[in-house]
Amino acid sequence: MTLVLAIVVPLVAAFLIPVFHLARKTLPVSLIGIMGLISLSASMAAAYAGWFSPEVSLLGGWAPEIGIVLVADRLSSAFLLITGIGSGAALACALEKFGGGPWRFYAIFFLLLGSMNGILLTGDLFNLFVFYEIFSVAAYLLVAFSMSWQALEAGLKYLVLGTIGALFILLGTAFTFMATGILNMALLSEALVSVPRETLTAISACLVLGLTIKTGAFPVHFWLPDAHSSAQTAVSALLSGVLVKVSIYALMRVCFLFFLETNGTVFLAITVIGSLSALGGHLMALRQDDIKRLLAYSTVAQIGYILIGVGCASAAGAAAAVFHSFNHMLMKMGLFIAAGNVSDEKGTREICKLTGLWKEKPFWVLGFTVLSAAIVGIPPLNGFMSKWFIILSSAGAGTVIPALVIAAGTVISAAYYLRVLSAFVSPGESDQEDPFKSSPRKVRSKIVSLTIVGSFAMFCLALGIMAFSPFSREYFSSIGRTAVDVGAYVGLVTGR
Amino acid sequence: MITLSYVTSVIIFCIGLYTIMARRNLFKTVLGLALMESAILLIIVSSGYIPGGVPPIEPFMGPAVNPLPHAFTLTAIVIGASDIALALAFIIKLQRHYRSVDLDRIRGLRG
Amino acid sequence: MNIRPFLFRITALFLCAFLGVMLFRGIAAMPPKESVTGPAAHYLERASRETGARNVVGAILFDYRAFDTLGESTVIFTAVCGISMLFSRRKFHRSSSGLSFIAKRGIGIMAPFLIMYATVIILFGHISPGGGFQGGTIFATVTVLLCVVFGSSFESSYFPPKTKESLESGGALLFCGIGLVGLAAGTGFLSNLSAGFPAGREGSLLSAGTIPLLNIAVGMKVGAGLSAIFYSMIKMLDTTNDYREGGPIR
Repeated sequence: MTLVLAIVVPLVAAFLIPVFHLARKTLPVSLIGIMGLISLSASMAAAYAGWFSPEVSLLGGWAPEIGIVLVADRLSSAFLLITGIGSGAALACALEKFGGGPWRFYAIFFLLLGSMNGILLTGDLFNLFVFYEIFSVAAYLLVAFSMSWQALEAGLKYLVLGTIGALFILLGTAFTFMATGILNMALLSEALVSVPRETLTAISACLVLGLTIKTGAFPVHFWLPDAHSSAQTAVSALLSGVLVKVSIYALMRVCFLFFLETNGTVFLAITVIGSLSALGGHLMALRQDDIKRLLAYSTVAQIGYILIGVGCASAAGAAAAVFHSFNHMLMKMGLFIAAGNVSDEKGTREICKLTGLWKEKPFWVLGFTVLSAAIVGIPPLNGFMSKWFIILSSAGAGTVIPALVIAAGTVISAAYYLRVLSAFVSPGESDQEDPFKSSPRKVRSKIVSLTIVGSFAMFCLALGIMAFSPFSREYFSSIGRTAVDVGAYVGLVTGR
Repeated sequence: MITLSYVTSVIIFCIGLYTIMARRNLFKTVLGLALMESAILLIIVSSGYIPGGVPPIEPFMGPAVNPLPHAFTLTAIVIGASDIALALAFIIKLQRHYRSVDLDRIRGLRG
Repeated sequence: MNIRPFLFRITALFLCAFLGVMLFRGIAAMPPKESVTGPAAHYLERASRETGARNVVGAILFDYRAFDTLGESTVIFTAVCGISMLFSRRKFHRSSSGLSFIAKRGIGIMAPFLIMYATVIILFGHISPGGGFQGGTIFATVTVLLCVVFGSSFESSYFPPKTKESLESGGALLFCGIGLVGLAAGTGFLSNLSAGFPAGREGSLLSAGTIPLLNIAVGMKVGAGLSAIFYSMIKMLDTTNDYREGGPIR
């Protein structure tokens, strides 16, 4: 019962916003805040229900094979938690920055929230495509929301590549439907075993290609740095922290359900894509001068790490991938919010001009330092732990090259994050000479954003320490076991 | 007969993809997207064909064709239309700024 | 000098050809279908009993897989929201004065019939070919014709953008509201006959429970949405032409 509310409540909020707008020009911040709280509590309720007892909800009361089902197991719940925390933080930042003025932004935001929950909960392949399309359209619009020319270009680029990805997913869905006649993912995982080999190759190529484009992994990553760097701060944080994770969930769910027993090559392909992304993303990040582009390329690299974890095709690998997704959400959202606020106040995004910040805003720099230490992988922090688990599981799967790639990537990322930090702490030159230049815009206090960055940094530390205890490790490995346990998923949906 | 339909749609799909990859005109990119989408819709609709089938509206006068692809096609048409409308809106916006729809003239879209 | 684009095109061509061959081999490997199997057979056999609708496609769209339809009309909602966001900067514009007198008279006579046709297609969606999307699209065509023939300011005075916005939101909310009735009845979101909606006599106008209501909701949403998209775009094109002729008009 609660599962469908997690999708419908944000959608209803989005449909209500234009109606409210007709009555009043600017919406009160509290109204949007309350809507956000209700939507997030609906998705948290779904996550809670799915975590403690896997839940299936039949829409329209139809049996799974003829209707659409929503399924929440531990994998969905973990990602619901990620999207819930991430979108809550992004909504708080956006409310602080924009106030209640841009009502269309909030309408699109709630549509995005509803569609993300839809992707995470649905158990039907075509329904997945439909929600993916709402999600993507909302994402293109959020990228273009600032209406600057770079943002529009990035939005168009994202739209063209994203639509190609969506069309490949649709083609894969069409092939699956032609070969089996069903669309329920649980039933498909049984039916795909008896599909001819060539058809299976076509299906897996289409689905993996489409989902890889949507994820933003290396060979087809062109849209990601532009989109993530030219959007507004809150949107960049949302894109990097949350949207990418939803795509990764879809990739994990589809690959584990469909291809774990039928087509092992898919996982090899994912490992290769992941390794390439990790190396390529880090090398490109090293060359960037724009701080947001640097963070965006770093996201490409981190996607690569997560994909390496997925490509292990084992419970440990999936658990490590989920853990790293969670950590990356915390770290990259915090980094984007910090970098965005700092560069907005400085009026520039070039790293070499972002000097003297240690004196002006020590808290921001402190938060940025802790988060970048976590993302590089300094031992007591969570980034180290999740990378370590990914390396362990990829070694367990019998391949050493991904582990070497991760180790090399760590060194490169340390180099570029240190470059940013050294710019931050170096003394600024022109502070006294030109008082207008140092504060080009009216500076409003950003206490909410600062709180979010601070709490995310604390969370990183806490998670890093928690990961040492066997109790919390057990929690994460249970996610991995759920992810690869196809039989349990099928049994849950069909009720056998 | 039905194989011909599949061959056609696969060829149209590839033409669409090639157009997107090789052409530098943004409108042609959108045309490519539309072609790919139509090809997929053609595949889906063809997959529901039954030799000698009748429309799936009761009462049936013989074996009815598969109604499920029709429903998917309707859904996918509307989704594709929204995508393409949005792409055109972006292009109109950009064209007003750059006075061009050529990818090489638009700075951020090279490559 | 021009060797790189040429090489790129050749590579693209080969990639596409490879993909095409792979896709076709995938299709060719499937066994040919002689009859309808899987859930589709269930729909063909039982749709009229389980939903009360004669149009099986309509029964699938608005009952068995109504959640897809909700998602899909939400895509239009999102796109409309975004297009009006992209074109929201310019408030005032000069619309074209329209076509000749004959065209205006002709459309004036045709428009009521077109609207009636759209209404019939929406209302009879569950017993004949048609439904919310198709009827909504025809309704949008009426507004497009008015836009082209009479100029966009005439159209916007008859169907103001605010009306379209509220119609669109209203349709979406109606859809969700009907769904929530099913949830409140305890039979699942968007459930139809099992939630206690009357089935009526098969083949009559008032039958099939929620399906006509959902058709109306989707028709409102699609019609208003598509005409809003067209209106936003033609508004933009009008201003573009003015811009070319002699500076922007504010």
